[in-house]
Amino acid sequence: MAEGQFLKAESPQEACALLARHGGKARLLAGGTDLMVALNLRQSSPEVLVYIGDSGLNYIKEEGDNLIIGAGTALSEILDSALVKEKAPLLVETISHMASVAIRNVGTIGGNLANASPAADSATALLALGASLKIVSKGGERTVPVGQFFTGPGKSVLGADEIIQEIWIPAQAEGTKWGYRKIGKRKAQSLSIVSVAICCPLNGGTCKGVRIALGAVAPTPILAVGASALLEGKTLNESLINETAKAAANATSPVDDVRSSAWYRRRASEALVRQLLANMSA
Amino acid sequence: MYPLELTVNGRSCQVAVDFKTTLLEVLRDKLFITSPKVGCNTGDCGTCSVLLNGKLVRSCITNALSAQGKEIITVEGIAKAGELHPLQEAFHENYGAQCGFCTPGMILASKALLDENPKPTREEAKEALSGNLCRCTGYVKILDSVMAAAEKMGGPQGS
Amino acid sequence: METKVVGQRVTRYDGMAHVTGETHFVDDVIVPGTLKIKALRSPVIKGKVRRLDTSAAERIPGVAGVITAADVPCNAFGIIPDQPVLAENIRYRGEPIAAVAAVDEDTAMEAIHAMKLDVEEEPYVLDPVEAMKTDAPQVRPEGNIFTFGERNFRQIILGDVEEGFGKADFIVENEYLHPSLEHAQLEPMASLAVPHATGKLTIYTVSQALYFHLGMLCGILQMDPEKVQCKQWAARTGSSWRHNAGYSDINYVGGTVGGGFGAKNDIHADHITALLALKTGQPCKWRWTREEDLLYSTFRGAWRMNIKDGITKDGRIVARQIRSIRDAGAYSSLNPYVVDKHSYLAAGPYFIENLYVQGYCVYTNKPPASSMRGFGITPATFSTEVQMDRIAEKVGMDPWEIRFLNAYRKGEQMATRRVLNSVALVEVMQKLAEKAGVDLPEKLKSMTSMERG
Repeated sequence: MAEGQFLKAESPQEACALLARHGGKARLLAGGTDLMVALNLRQSSPEVLVYIGDSGLNYIKEEGDNLIIGAGTALSEILDSALVKEKAPLLVETISHMASVAIRNVGTIGGNLANASPAADSATALLALGASLKIVSKGGERTVPVGQFFTGPGKSVLGADEIIQEIWIPAQAEGTKWGYRKIGKRKAQSLSIVSVAICCPLNGGTCKGVRIALGAVAPTPILAVGASALLEGKTLNESLINETAKAAANATSPVDDVRSSAWYRRRASEALVRQLLANMSA
Repeated sequence: MYPLELTVNGRSCQVAVDFKTTLLEVLRDKLFITSPKVGCNTGDCGTCSVLLNGKLVRSCITNALSAQGKEIITVEGIAKAGELHPLQEAFHENYGAQCGFCTPGMILASKALLDENPKPTREEAKEALSGNLCRCTGYVKILDSVMAAAEKMGGPQGS
Repeated sequence: METKVVGQRVTRYDGMAHVTGETHFVDDVIVPGTLKIKALRSPVIKGKVRRLDTSAAERIPGVAGVITAADVPCNAFGIIPDQPVLAENIRYRGEPIAAVAAVDEDTAMEAIHAMKLDVEEEPYVLDPVEAMKTDAPQVRPEGNIFTFGERNFRQIILGDVEEGFGKADFIVENEYLHPSLEHAQLEPMASLAVPHATGKLTIYTVSQALYFHLGMLCGILQMDPEKVQCKQWAARTGSSWRHNAGYSDINYVGGTVGGGFGAKNDIHADHITALLALKTGQPCKWRWTREEDLLYSTFRGAWRMNIKDGITKDGRIVARQIRSIRDAGAYSSLNPYVVDKHSYLAAGPYFIENLYVQGYCVYTNKPPASSMRGFGITPATFSTEVQMDRIAEKVGMDPWEIRFLNAYRKGEQMATRRVLNSVALVEVMQKLAEKAGVDLPEKLKSMTSMERG
């Protein structure tokens, strides 16, 4: 029998205390869809598992202008939530293309973010939605916009004794159009080769504060800030869309890897941004 | 070592596990329930699928202790007193199994679908089973089996 | 006529077991006290094992036994017995060098990590075209190209292709590349061996070829002390499976295979599992990880096919020249057989009077390739059919018509000298067109396989 501790945290605060006590020897376990794979492959050998699957992090609620999702909420719960469908349909659409039923039933949104893969699908959506993360530790709490959370492939600003407690999604302006598309090697159960999520608030037909997010095309999920700036105050038209799409592709820094090539990712980024914006202008 | 209590196919079970034992290991190695398979051990193929408190999960990446006190159903547990579940009948009659390795997981994924959506379209069935791989059949007869089972199990129109 | 079986729906005899979860695959067979096996696999692509110290591994509590090349009675197997069970001269990264049986997989892995391996690396070659050059690193002592009789390729020859090309109005020449392909059968490689007090062995196997492998195992394990020495016998028979004695020493239990598609036509785990069972005196099970299966099990090898066709302006292929190179990987396995089958049928189901096929079987320092559905013919078919479309394009003819014109007719002779009696390609294409909603011209609708009209 393997030696190691399984410690069940009854609250996020207890989880933080346990992480602080055990330091680098401990890993957080929620749905386990990333961590248990690493354990099975013997790629990770923690001595302590801090289980937070039952620690009160599973909720979806509204507070003022914000939609708040507990980090321990399973992806399938978010998918089925009428509230999320109403307030952030982009997130529902994104999750419907993630993994498969069985993985979504236990995999959590917090886990997807904390794993910090450049291809993390929920991150693309949350970037486009302008979301923030409430991060807690023994010492207190802080709020980090999703755009500042990721620092590199598999890396984030999350400290060893910190956990993501909640995701805050601000209300989207009335009449905001949105779009999402993902390309993988298969139609289902596929890691993204490229993913694009766009939120386009329209103020009387003109763009205001558009967010174009791209995944799997840079060391972290990114916002194409320069591209969306081109749209500010303008009406969508074909030549502007083409220019924006090109700018978005130029904001990427994709690599060749086992799934795809940098060349393809750059081309596909441009094509997807163009398609999604064209759909919105129709 | 930690004690683990589960209900498996209606039976109360107690086993000893360590901090990283998987639910699949508990089922196969400790309870000798061999229908969930070790196809990949990374949650990709679906042959380890079981129902955990009614939800379809990958037992190979489910930490056993996280299933403490929960209810597990494997394909051995869906037949009732000598009568096959309509899904089992449908898979048998419609040649939904060839080598049989994916079949237990496939049937449970189908059950999870029909429990939630008793009248799926073929497209919805495809989506629901998209996490279960089969290398033999090409999926057509599997989908035929699911649709046939849905019809068998379906109530009157509109219900 | 009422038939009992033909055209009737027949119940699968194993259907009930599959849908109830009763079907027992090798890993589902539970024998109390079974030890778990892990293998030490070569970290280098090519090299010699200078030193292997397994003493630390053997001392780990829970380790029941370790085997290396020295523990294998006859360390060469295969239809052409050139593959070792455990390697001392490494030919591919991942090749098994040693194996351990322990109380559980974690302990077995600990033992693997505790083994001290000293390998002298050697130059290697990965590309078959490179491997064919005279100065290429040698994958095997006999050279990198398999010898078919007197030639280093399988030759199929009919007529005179150069003469044929001379008569042609068009020449169409193309190269076709086929990557290797993995079966990815859902059941990974596995084996369970149970030793008996009588000295016999029960082996639960995933084998698709029970008698091939039973014979090979008897050769590897040398169960009968009366048997001739391994080297003499292998040299004399050229293969192990023709040797009949010893079959009754192994109770070989198989037939329930979780997908194979050709992956399980080679022995992957039975030999090592059996050896550890005999050494430890306890039941041993080896279950490959999916990673091991994807990386190290046999697969459909890569091909390069060069096809040069001479065509007349009325669409007949008067000459076809094919040069195929099969990337066999490190050992023969079924590759020579695959190249044979490929060569016999490479030209396609078409009557061509001048044909020259060269099938090369080339060794490289990669895991051995072997059989996969089609056995060498699948890549050939892909290549020749794309070639037919290109010919049609060149000649300015419909792709259907090109095929109808060149299809074999009854009584015509293949390059292998077989006279064809049962020919139906024309009728099959006519039926196919009907089903696909393609309205063929009358000229094609009225053709027949019975005679060349």
